[in-house]
Amino acid sequence: MNGWKNVITGFLAVSLCVSGCSKTETGSTGTTQPASNKPIIGVSVLTLNNPFFKDMADAMIAEGEKKGFQVVALSGDLDPAKQKDQVKNFITQKMAAIVLTPCDSKSIGTSISDANAAGVPVFTADVACTADGVKVVNHCATDNLEGGRVAGRAMVELLKGRGKVAIIDHPTVESGQMREAGFLEVVSASPGIEVVAKLGAEGAREKAYAVAQDLVQSHPDLDAIFAINDPTALGALAALEKAGKADQIKIIGFDGQPEARLAIKAGKLYATVMQHPKEIGSKSIDNIAKYLSGEQVAAKELLTPVIYKQSDAAADADLK
Amino acid sequence: MRKFLSRSLNEYGMLLVLLLLCAYYACVTIKPSATDGPAGGESCAKLALSEMPAMHSAAIVVGTAADAIGFANAAKARLTAAGVGSIRVMQGGPPEVRQQLSQSIAASSAPDAILTTTQDAAWVERIQANLPAISRTLLVIPKVRRWPVFLTVQNLLNIGDQIAVIAVVAVGMTMVILTGGIDLSVGSLAALSAVAVSLMIRDWAGGVHAGTMAMLGCSLLAMAICGLVGVVSGSLITLFRVPPFIVTLAVMQIASGQANEWSKQQSIHDIPASFTWLGKGASLLGLPNTLVLMVLLYVLAHVLLSRMRLGRYIYAVGGNSEAARLSGVNVNWVILIVYFISGLSAGLGGLILTSELQTGSATYGVGLELFAIAAVVLGGTSLSGGEGNVIGTLIGAFIIAVLHNGMDLTDVNDARQRTVLGLVILGGVLADQLKRRPWSLPSWLVSRNVADSETKRSPAEKTLIEEKTI
Repeated sequence: MNGWKNVITGFLAVSLCVSGCSKTETGSTGTTQPASNKPIIGVSVLTLNNPFFKDMADAMIAEGEKKGFQVVALSGDLDPAKQKDQVKNFITQKMAAIVLTPCDSKSIGTSISDANAAGVPVFTADVACTADGVKVVNHCATDNLEGGRVAGRAMVELLKGRGKVAIIDHPTVESGQMREAGFLEVVSASPGIEVVAKLGAEGAREKAYAVAQDLVQSHPDLDAIFAINDPTALGALAALEKAGKADQIKIIGFDGQPEARLAIKAGKLYATVMQHPKEIGSKSIDNIAKYLSGEQVAAKELLTPVIYKQSDAAADADLK
Repeated sequence: MRKFLSRSLNEYGMLLVLLLLCAYYACVTIKPSATDGPAGGESCAKLALSEMPAMHSAAIVVGTAADAIGFANAAKARLTAAGVGSIRVMQGGPPEVRQQLSQSIAASSAPDAILTTTQDAAWVERIQANLPAISRTLLVIPKVRRWPVFLTVQNLLNIGDQIAVIAVVAVGMTMVILTGGIDLSVGSLAALSAVAVSLMIRDWAGGVHAGTMAMLGCSLLAMAICGLVGVVSGSLITLFRVPPFIVTLAVMQIASGQANEWSKQQSIHDIPASFTWLGKGASLLGLPNTLVLMVLLYVLAHVLLSRMRLGRYIYAVGGNSEAARLSGVNVNWVILIVYFISGLSAGLGGLILTSELQTGSATYGVGLELFAIAAVVLGGTSLSGGEGNVIGTLIGAFIIAVLHNGMDLTDVNDARQRTVLGLVILGGVLADQLKRRPWSLPSWLVSRNVADSETKRSPAEKTLIEEKTI
């Protein structure tokens, strides 16, 4: 008899969790319950822990609402295998379209080819797919190469052509590679500027914190850091503040997230390269709506980013 | 009879949980399901004819899905048989179809009806709304039946496919845990194997033009590397008596570091498309190769553990390693072998990942070890060793997979998914503990006669365990 009791206990535990949690409201992480017969768009972004992608996903949900779609946004959690499973589930559910920010620009290829075979159109946002032989209807992103150049020019101007620079990068994603390439293109043209270190932090704040702490130790005479995104810049800033080097070492970030813009306004960060995640999100959905009603959509849509410094922050209406 | 029932429930309690989970998700994912493909085309045409018996012209509009052309052909055949004069089939993405539609309207006239698949209906409606000439034309889609998305063949195969890597890695993990050890390095080893195999194929086997035998060789070599790392962990554990937790924690870092170093933190994609045979192919009766491989591996592991001498030794070492040593078991060898097997299975897991994604990357396998351990523990294997089996592990792995898949299908957000998964693992382990040590139940929970029957059964169970270990 005791067997029954045990099994029931176990099952109760399981079923309780499941039934208690499987219905979810429109939550802060941006998923919605399919309620109507609206066509559904499946979205899987790199990570929802970065405000950039959160803004992008939220803009997609809002724009989807306007255009008569229901948008389900999931986080790939930087894990290519997890993202592959998410895409598989999107295909099983015969979504009207899929938007991806690939966790790995190459690995995503097999998932996209699955979607192609199932006739589900695929769009990419922010990070492109660089695998061969797969069909992506439209890629909407910041022009990251140009953004890197913008950061590079700001760096040359900041250092007046002389100084030691470190880069905190994220070389496994295409956008990170492009920013770094653009930055190096400009900076290497000024012989007085020396790139003394390139270290990876996966675009994550806590990793950038540790990396910057070590940079301060290994290069005490460092003049500036180029961080390939704002979480990296803010992580590095925290480390510099702790080491008492925030005045000596200037940081240029990339994204234009609210927290970074506030830090620029306060003079803690030197500058950031302003991207428009909301615009990328809404443009992506807009392109899907156009495509699904039979209009031709350009294969690539690149938004040109601009530099954002303290003077811009002073005039920024969002920060008041 | 009652004894038998309670006994089998004890043994297969987790299986019951798995089935109940499946039943739950089957109930909550009932949705109108697409009947596309030839059958859908047939039923769509019938429906169109019944709604408009005097149809003269029709357009069959389908997207780019693999089964779309089957739909179009079946619908066309049916309409032709019914004597519909002009039938135009249009296939492509929305822009192409729109262009074909407007051209055909300009050339002749608007069709009487437009037939399309359930999947494509959403965008066909949108095109209709944008083309005034056909905005009022009858749009026919196949009758939808309500069916749980969870129980579609494709979804069930997806579940098997999604759990393959964890399940394969968990085979080795089960054996390690049966000896009372733990292997934290499996996730990193999977990444190492992924990087190693893709590097070898790129640099030695000719990249995208690599032949089958060369790829097989590279794969075996990559697995061997991981097996070798397992042997190193095993020897550190046996020779220097370092706790397995510490050794494999260190090896986890080293393996991950090497994977990152070898790959220069780039994903390596110069792999022939034929390499995806393992991860994406379905050679046997349409079953995914990963699923077949997984079942094969579990049968092998089950035979090894239950029918072979090594299997008995593994239980013996986990049950009481001193007793095992005294009865002549070479404990060190057994431990070395289980870490070797664990390394091999982690390597195989990495191969599957590489094959599924046609790319090798050092970012694979993060947290894989924890899922593998969760599967083992959910399957009823005791973390202190000596008790458990691989069939339980397979059930545990499927519980994780079904939960993941079910929550994805019901749009549970990612943050909540983790919480649920954690709670389920906890619930499973608690249920298992109650099963193992019923006397630790608070007295008010246990009625007297139940307690009595337990004490009666305990010695029998003990003998059973002893039989196993000898």
